[in-house]
Amino acid sequence: MTQSASNTNQYSATAGIQHEEALLFEHAHEAPSSINLPGVEGDIPAALTAFARQQPAGIPGLSEPEAVRHFVRLSQWNHGIETGFYPLGSCTMKYNPRVNEQVVRLPGLAHIHPDQPDETVQGVLQLLYELQQWLCEISGFSHITLQPAAGAHGELTGLMMIRAALDARGQQHRKKVLVPDSAHGTNPASAALCGMYTVELKSGADGRIDLDELKAHLDNDTAALMMTNPNTAGAFESDVAEICRLVHEAGGFVYGDGANLNALVGVARPGDMGIDCLHINVHKTFSTPHGGGGPGGGPVAVNESLAPHLPVPRIEKQGDGYALLHQSDASIGSVLGSIGQTGVLLRAAAYIAAFGNNHLHKIAEDAVLNANYVLSRLKNAYDVPFDGLCKHECLLTDAIQEKHGVKTLDIAKQLIDLGFHPMTVYFPLIVHGAMLIEPTETESRQTLDAFCDAMLEIAAQCEAGDTDQLHSAPVKPFRRRLDETQAARKPVLVWPSA
Amino acid sequence: MLEAIGVSGVRDLFADIPAEFHLQQGSLNLPDGMSEAAIVRKFTQAAEKNRHAANTACFLGGGTYHHFVPAVVDYVISRGEFLTAYTPYQPEISQGTLQALFEFQTMIARLTGMDVANASMYEAATATAEAALMARRVTRKNRVVMAGSVNPRYRSVTSNYLSRLKGDYVEIAMDGFATDVDALIAAIDDNTACVVVQYPDFYGSVYDLSVLRAACDANKCLMVVAFSDISAFALIESPGAMGADIAVGSGQSLGIPMGYGGPHLGLFACKQKYVRQMPGRVCGMTQDADGKRGFVLTLSTREQHIRREKATSNICSNQGLMCTAAATYLTLMGDDGMATVARHSAAALQSLLAALPDHVSAAAGAHYNETVLSFADTTARDRFLAAAAADGIFAGIPLERIDHAAQPGHLLVATTEMVEQDDIQRYLAALEVSK
Repeated sequence: MTQSASNTNQYSATAGIQHEEALLFEHAHEAPSSINLPGVEGDIPAALTAFARQQPAGIPGLSEPEAVRHFVRLSQWNHGIETGFYPLGSCTMKYNPRVNEQVVRLPGLAHIHPDQPDETVQGVLQLLYELQQWLCEISGFSHITLQPAAGAHGELTGLMMIRAALDARGQQHRKKVLVPDSAHGTNPASAALCGMYTVELKSGADGRIDLDELKAHLDNDTAALMMTNPNTAGAFESDVAEICRLVHEAGGFVYGDGANLNALVGVARPGDMGIDCLHINVHKTFSTPHGGGGPGGGPVAVNESLAPHLPVPRIEKQGDGYALLHQSDASIGSVLGSIGQTGVLLRAAAYIAAFGNNHLHKIAEDAVLNANYVLSRLKNAYDVPFDGLCKHECLLTDAIQEKHGVKTLDIAKQLIDLGFHPMTVYFPLIVHGAMLIEPTETESRQTLDAFCDAMLEIAAQCEAGDTDQLHSAPVKPFRRRLDETQAARKPVLVWPSA
Repeated sequence: MLEAIGVSGVRDLFADIPAEFHLQQGSLNLPDGMSEAAIVRKFTQAAEKNRHAANTACFLGGGTYHHFVPAVVDYVISRGEFLTAYTPYQPEISQGTLQALFEFQTMIARLTGMDVANASMYEAATATAEAALMARRVTRKNRVVMAGSVNPRYRSVTSNYLSRLKGDYVEIAMDGFATDVDALIAAIDDNTACVVVQYPDFYGSVYDLSVLRAACDANKCLMVVAFSDISAFALIESPGAMGADIAVGSGQSLGIPMGYGGPHLGLFACKQKYVRQMPGRVCGMTQDADGKRGFVLTLSTREQHIRREKATSNICSNQGLMCTAAATYLTLMGDDGMATVARHSAAALQSLLAALPDHVSAAAGAHYNETVLSFADTTARDRFLAAAAADGIFAGIPLERIDHAAQPGHLLVATTEMVEQDDIQRYLAALEVSK
């Protein structure tokens, strides 16, 4: 393990100074706001005095240097892509180019009001219109909406369009949505919100959609099949064309969950495979930063069958310029109070512009290469539930380590001590003790090797029966395992007022 | 690497994709990849085609406001540790995001006067829709009464979210630019889950909600209070003080640039007793294995990744980075700074209204920083808008742009602390052309 040890030590999680930092509300704060605010001086208007707030809210307020130090210290307790490897399956944690951050902060993009007249926002409309065309071209669809604010929001939007198309055919009774048991939890939740109900399809022995199982559930009530391709086990659904044909023959639509589009970018297009509708997680495939949970973006691309139902407002080309279309008869209406999360979308546009036609395919190629390399290095030490090549992520389980009393959670937490963010754990639900690893294309072989060395070191520790420490990991970070049961049983969601 | 995998070329890794679907390399109708310098030039050129509020006096509101953003806010959210972190599902290495969320939740609860707040929704319109859905779950009733004085975009998204579910959705039209509480009370019945109002309403009107609160109690339904510019609650009583069961709205005013529609920040706050029906992620306080205080995402049994079709919402992403922005902003402002923002925002509107010429009228009643101006007709209004634009002023939003049912000749006008006295003088001068 000598080489492993040196490699992992290089990536060690913690070193040096670590500051404790009080909650904002515990700071002694005597100084009022240090911000010198512009504007028109004046007291509360007479008409508002009857409504005047009686007690200040209790916002503490720190001086600028104190505020900076508070939040910089907090930031130092975080792991981010800019601090280290982040092999989270189905999350596509790739490097976020800094130039994208720079361009969205241009005053002519950051400080425009959504209700400025169209003629004063031609530049941003042009960038968004181009992005629409690019995303359609990359995914293989004819139309798109940029409005949905996230992937799950895109799912809801797509299902609303499918609902509208079925209703337009007089098929209000079609409410059944087929969802493979490997699907993301958002799929059934989105269907429920759309007034539909889901039926779970049991995956075949290879983790893929089983055609017989699908056929057995397709009928006159079927509204749609929701499929993720590659699926959440990291495998491509090679029967996709036949799957789509069967669903269409039964009168339903095929909804594509685009969470795993990174495996296909520039190499193949979901729209060519028979899928009717696909949401695209721009915060995954197109590298907009995750921000500690968001904001995301979930544009939904559709073929001609669903295009009339796209949300409004839409961006339209009119002569040499662009305009917003606010109303359209067959539209499902609006799913957001604006045209979309523009700042997120513009970052995605900058990202696609950097690759372009000649380099886009390298995204999927390198992502799939990296995932298969990790799989090849780990497949003898960890259980691989489904044989064969993977796409952009590989699925392992804890079946071998569990014999030594070590579970997926322990492996994940030990990785933290070895300097890595854990992989996605216990998802997909179709295997016991899942570990889903997605390295993405932006990691070097050195980083992949260091991660694999760390994984092999953990596996070797299990084989040697040296497992005590694994149960108590992590010990190096700022905080150790947190009591989630206590948090949920007696939730404390706010700091009490003085 | 190929050797380790046991294939001879990268394309072998895609053998499971049927050949008919393989794209020929470089066959997409996209421009070729650009250098970083070329990208900066492209975006700069596009940005320069837009007019923007950084060099224009901005009187636009309607849910999005041009408040001042201190430099520190953007610095903090540009730090890679906040910017490039994932959702804090691994709390040991996410305490920064989590503590910031806890501080955010606390400050939002205090500003809105509610017991608890979640870790954000996408934006105000979807937050309003989620509030209506939550009220249905809490009351097990399924009729939603919506005031016609709620931002038409919040109404439209809420109506859209509810339209595929069993139950009624009714909008109560309003006379004039104010909220008629009596009309709302008359619309409540036994099956009403909630009444949704906006405070200050879409037209900027500030009004008393105590009578509506009493009517909701009498009918065992919830009062949902939406808001557009949360800075109001540094000056006027909060939704909580007005008796709201759920308060939802936009936090864009808290250090987030307008950005042509997003990313903004949806806020969601409610009474403690309803917390287990709340949608979205939420951060809670706990202890680690050594007994040290720490924070985790909690109450996840409400959420889609556990409950799937029975979840309280399908929402997964929140607006995490925008929560950090808002927490930073509020920390810099404190109560005093927030009060100054609110006083200046209100004073600018008062200053404008006090000097309005006779041929333009303003909506009656109490207003915070937004109101409706009425002109002789649409032509007169649009002459003014053009004159103002020529003098570097975004003078307001034609009401029909947001409210498609609006009568002609009205303008929605909002002010913030970014409006200076000189801007108001020029605004008044430009009004002359609308005579």
